[in-house]
Amino acid sequence: MSKAKKIWRFLSSMQFAIALLVLLAAACALSSLVTQGQSYTWYAARYSERMAAIILALQLDDAYHSWWFLLLNSFLVLNLILCNGKSLPGLLKQYREMGELPAQRPGVEREGITEPEAVFRAMGMPHPRRGVSAEGKEVLYAHRNRVGIWGAWVCHLGILLLILGFSLGQMTKEEYVVYGVPGQLRRVGDTNLVVGIDDFRVELREDDTVEQYTAEITVYDLTREGDPGESAGISVNHPATLHGMRFYQNSTGWAARVQITKAGEPLQDTVLCAGEYLPVEDMPQLVVYFNAFYPDYVLIKGQGPATQSGKLNNPGYLYSVYYQGEILGMNVLTGEDTLTIDDYEVVFSEPQSYTLIQAKRDNYTWLALAGGLVTTLGLILAFYLQPRRLWAIREGERWRLCGLSRKGGVLFAEELDVAIKSTEKGELPHAES
Amino acid sequence: MLKAENTLFTIVMLLYFAAMVGYFLFIAVKKDPVSRLAIALQALGLILHTAALILRGIGAGRMPLTNQYEFATSFAWGLSLVSLIFVLRFRFPVLGAFAAPVTFLVIGYAAMQSKEVRELMPALRSNWLGFHVSTAIIAYGSFGVSFVLSIIFLLRDKMRDHGFLDTHIPTAEKLDLISYRSVSLGLLFLTFTIVTGAIWAERAWGSYWSWDPKETWSLVTWIVYAIYLHLRIRRGWRGKSAAVFAVLGFICVMFTYIGVNTWLPGVHSYA
Repeated sequence: MSKAKKIWRFLSSMQFAIALLVLLAAACALSSLVTQGQSYTWYAARYSERMAAIILALQLDDAYHSWWFLLLNSFLVLNLILCNGKSLPGLLKQYREMGELPAQRPGVEREGITEPEAVFRAMGMPHPRRGVSAEGKEVLYAHRNRVGIWGAWVCHLGILLLILGFSLGQMTKEEYVVYGVPGQLRRVGDTNLVVGIDDFRVELREDDTVEQYTAEITVYDLTREGDPGESAGISVNHPATLHGMRFYQNSTGWAARVQITKAGEPLQDTVLCAGEYLPVEDMPQLVVYFNAFYPDYVLIKGQGPATQSGKLNNPGYLYSVYYQGEILGMNVLTGEDTLTIDDYEVVFSEPQSYTLIQAKRDNYTWLALAGGLVTTLGLILAFYLQPRRLWAIREGERWRLCGLSRKGGVLFAEELDVAIKSTEKGELPHAES
Repeated sequence: MLKAENTLFTIVMLLYFAAMVGYFLFIAVKKDPVSRLAIALQALGLILHTAALILRGIGAGRMPLTNQYEFATSFAWGLSLVSLIFVLRFRFPVLGAFAAPVTFLVIGYAAMQSKEVRELMPALRSNWLGFHVSTAIIAYGSFGVSFVLSIIFLLRDKMRDHGFLDTHIPTAEKLDLISYRSVSLGLLFLTFTIVTGAIWAERAWGSYWSWDPKETWSLVTWIVYAIYLHLRIRRGWRGKSAAVFAVLGFICVMFTYIGVNTWLPGVHSYA
């Protein structure tokens, strides 16, 4: 056998498939134990410097996008394509042959049958065909669940579609995050789309737990002149597709109105979300950072600022001030407190919830979903539509019954015996298998 | 309603315990009527267990499948259901003697969890929750039964001289096939679980697959059972080897269920 043929045979072999599955399972299991997407410092602090170096060298910090994980998956795809390609002619032949007069060795045989048609009926094959064997004997034959032959093949096809859909999605998808409070317009990344946040509601239950987050949004396409926009309400579990982009109500946080005055004159008036910076307009090297918000602020000794509840009983705004990148100070403002920096005065007020919206375009989600459904269909075919054949050969006054079920084995033989018993007046004829 | 559920839960535990004792007694006294009594106790337990779950669902105003207690009691229900089906379908009461302790252990684990009914976070308020978790229960139940069948298979040789068990335990070939059927059922339902979970995740989190530890370990479990199926074909791994592999598969199932929640929290931390 030539070397190329040997490689071809190996790549399409089940042995290779099993090895790949073992490696994939081990890779997934190992990767799940390592927190993904952290830095060297983080891993060194968590484990040790040596371990951190190993993790980064093996790309275990981003295992599911590492070269070795992609390689394993590529080999799996290749193996599935070759395996399905190789088995296709044989399966077509088998499928065709199942409708013909059986010529193969039976898996189970029972002799002395008097009413073969009744047994066929009891086995769910009510209309056996008649034929003549090579020895010139009359034969009754039938098959059931012929389509089940395709189970494994369809399952493999489904996995291929799934991997293809997932991979194409990973390579081409666009994903952005926009956030803001009602009344704001936010650009969706570098796209031509702008999201207008028309409304945002946090629906609370009696016990103050959150029932639902709902945002009313309008999406405008800047390339379309006079675009009236497409509007929809989005909430958790209820995304909406607008201008070809899918929008998800993802998260929420606190925002506040921030007013800056200089020598008593209004300078800036804007809404700032927690986690955002605000450079002072006429002195950009001076920056106010809104660290966090505490709706029911309390200072706990030894722990620092905290909130006692989700209710707006005592709003507390944790801020930091930076000048030329150096921190000048950090504190919490409550009530009517004002932050004074030389001539500037900063006031935080009107706390409100902002919405965080995820915008995504993945044109291949349908392919991955189709892959999942085809895989499921393949498993149903493989497990629950097991192909079986039954044929009866006339031997004088009686018949010899033969059956074949690739996966049924002893259970198929038992089922056949029950069928014979129910039709042969309680008598089980001489069994041979 | 929840008080009634609590009472029923206690009765169910007692019935499962009684069924377990019944199955043990059946092996000890070697009388078939005792096995019928044990089966009846388990069936009654299963009916009341179903009623308890329905009552909890009505009391909570949602599917009772969202926290550790609810999933554990549902897992026990799935185990009891699948094992009872296999006991009756294959006329195999000895299976009950091995499955009942596992069911009792799982329902005992449920009893140790907080039974408090909490309102659902928005992400869990979805019709997909029912499909996703109920298919997982059947999958776990089926894998549990395959685990029990594999244990029986592995112990079978040691019971060979035991005349009664010898006649009440199916042949090695049949036992192997029943275990294979159980794995098949489990794998099919695990696939349903993963697919429905992916559809739900896409709607709730904007990504149908994000390598969350629970997702990853469900995939690992799926792959382990896929290897099991391939080995059966390729290497003719039947009998003992297949049984050992099915036990390994169930260890993965248990790690996905308990280990991930304990050591690898992610977006499924509430499960």
